[in-house]
Amino acid sequence: MALLALTNVTKVYQVGAVAVHALRGIDLMVEKNEYVSIMGPSGSGKSTLMNVIGCLDTPTSGTYILDGKTVHDDNIGQNGNGKLSEDELAFIRNQKIGFVFQTFNLLPRITALHNVELPLIYAGIHKKERIEMAKEALRKVNLEDRMHHQPNELSGGQRQRVAIARALVNNPSILLADEPTGNLDSVTSREIMKLMDKLHDEGNTIILVTHETEIAQHAHRIVHLLDGKIDRDETTPKGNS
Amino acid sequence: MGVIFESVVMAIKAILQNKTRAFLTMLGIIIGILSVSLMGTAISGIDQVFESSIEGMGQDVLYVQKYPWFMVNDEWWEYRNRPEIKEEYAEQILERASSIAFATPSSSRSDEVKYKKNTVEGVEINGTTWQEAYISALKLESGRFFSEPESRYGSRVIVIGYDIKTALFPNEDPLGKEITIRGNKFRVIGVIAQQGKFLGLMSMDNIVIVPLKAFQMLYGRRRGISISVKPKDGIPVEQAKEELTFIMRGLRKLKPRDENDFAINQQEAFRQQFANIRFAIRAVGLGITALSLIVGGIGIMNIMFVSVRERTKEIGIRKALGAKKSIILFQFLSEAVIISLIGGIIGILLTVGLVGVVQRFFVANLSFGLVVISLLVSILTGVLSGIIPANQAARLNPIEAIRYE
Ligand SMILES: Nc1ncnc2c1ncn2[C@@H]1O[C@H](COP(=O)(O)OP(=O)(O)OP(=O)(O)O)[C@@H](O)[C@H]1O
Ligand SMILES: [Mg+2]
Repeated sequence: MALLALTNVTKVYQVGAVAVHALRGIDLMVEKNEYVSIMGPSGSGKSTLMNVIGCLDTPTSGTYILDGKTVHDDNIGQNGNGKLSEDELAFIRNQKIGFVFQTFNLLPRITALHNVELPLIYAGIHKKERIEMAKEALRKVNLEDRMHHQPNELSGGQRQRVAIARALVNNPSILLADEPTGNLDSVTSREIMKLMDKLHDEGNTIILVTHETEIAQHAHRIVHLLDGKIDRDETTPKGNS
Repeated sequence: MGVIFESVVMAIKAILQNKTRAFLTMLGIIIGILSVSLMGTAISGIDQVFESSIEGMGQDVLYVQKYPWFMVNDEWWEYRNRPEIKEEYAEQILERASSIAFATPSSSRSDEVKYKKNTVEGVEINGTTWQEAYISALKLESGRFFSEPESRYGSRVIVIGYDIKTALFPNEDPLGKEITIRGNKFRVIGVIAQQGKFLGLMSMDNIVIVPLKAFQMLYGRRRGISISVKPKDGIPVEQAKEELTFIMRGLRKLKPRDENDFAINQQEAFRQQFANIRFAIRAVGLGITALSLIVGGIGIMNIMFVSVRERTKEIGIRKALGAKKSIILFQFLSEAVIISLIGGIIGILLTVGLVGVVQRFFVANLSFGLVVISLLVSILTGVLSGIIPANQAARLNPIEAIRYE
């Protein structure tokens, strides 16, 4: 079974009297340990799709199954748990999703280590084990020596690596990165993508949004969005080998 | 557990980042808690002092006097024209009454007393009869009260209060010594045991007692008389009061429709008056407390709304990482409660300091119960003022919150 399966997913934002159709019927399957890039012009619905996959947002209609769990299903009524509550969505985000954002989104004024600990705190993991896991995640992104630094004492690339460590620390089913290199220079971008490649090699499932073809080519599969629909779904040279 | 601890730590950090703001926010709570604990302390102090003060007054003694103890200013003009209370009433009351054991006339004024080179000014000189010893249940530290014959002849004997003893006879036994009032010598026959201060302020030991006849030889017979009356054992005061009123009306030859032209005072009047004072203190204290707690609570609510707005992005990030509504709610609620609680603690510490100063003049003790109540009140204020902003934070949409700059 696919790790995630979206069937005819739509998302409509109601802005006053105007209905904005951000997603217009997405069908998408992603298998375990796939490495997928999502591309498309600005406003084509990439972030909206990522938010739906990451359970930060819920579809307007359609079906979404993540790791065997029904997140959204129109055909099952409210009582049949076709729609999860906010707290249930929070639980799924905590257990199954790792987010990496364009603007890093680390909490200021707390250390890198503490930032990485946050998902474990919400998972209710005890302090001793928690710190060990957080350190291990920082080790994976090569930032063990900076764990007691606060975000404002770190470079952009280092911040993004802390964010990646935070996304990984809970062993999520899937890593979602919305333009992870958007705020970084090309050298640092390459470093981050090397890290992504390594994480994929270690067995992680990754979906990343990018504008840059060069970045997208790191993935094995590129999904092109246009106007809220999947325009093209292609396999990259890497995916063929 | 970890989540709660982390929330509290984050709340404390948030407060420390804005110490001045937090402190200003606390002021209302500080004043509120200060006033509630000061009020409580004042009331319990006054209660304590009051009880020990009126103890010496005799539970069941009635005083027949020209003026009531408590009156409104303009009433005084009416009472002024009443006939004076006569000394003879005491004996007449005793003759006629069946419910009364003792009745004695007394009079008093302030004067100075001397012994050798020592002088005490402003001493309350009391003239009364031997019955006074039984009426006010005086406790003597040494010696005796004057006898019936001494009363009758107006012997120059004197019973002195504790303050007089210490002032005039620092190093000697006063018994048998002669002290001087207005050039007349009085032989000390007894010393009253220390009684303390009335309401903690006025010493009740700054008195001397002499036979009324002797008092009148010093000051003349025209001074106002008060008659102290004690009911027989087992007779309720109210019953004695009724009979006393009846007899007094007879002595004054009042017609059934006439109003009393005398007052019968009793300790109860003090209680009444005291209850009014307590009530006033409580009302004022509660008013100030409620007002400042409301102001303080609104201040906290306001600051919490600001805090939620400032940290909207943080809330979004936390939600994206899996924080449930209740956790966000708790984090902001604990921030409000901590601010309020610190305010409460500061208020209590200030009270402790103030009480320490006041203690030098007045009985005052901050009770443990009051501290607990104050802390509970500040926690409650924090919860009430934090709940709306915290709930707003908990309900934020994670995507919109993350995008917020
Ligand atoms: N909260 C919202 N309310 C209303 N409309 C929205 C909202 N979020 C997104 N949209 C609209 O939905 C459409 C898709 O937006 P989305 O952010 O998914 O685009 P995107 O592909 O990520 O673009 P970009 O490359 O610029 O990040 C856009 O037209 C956008 O204006
Ligand atoms: Mg986007």
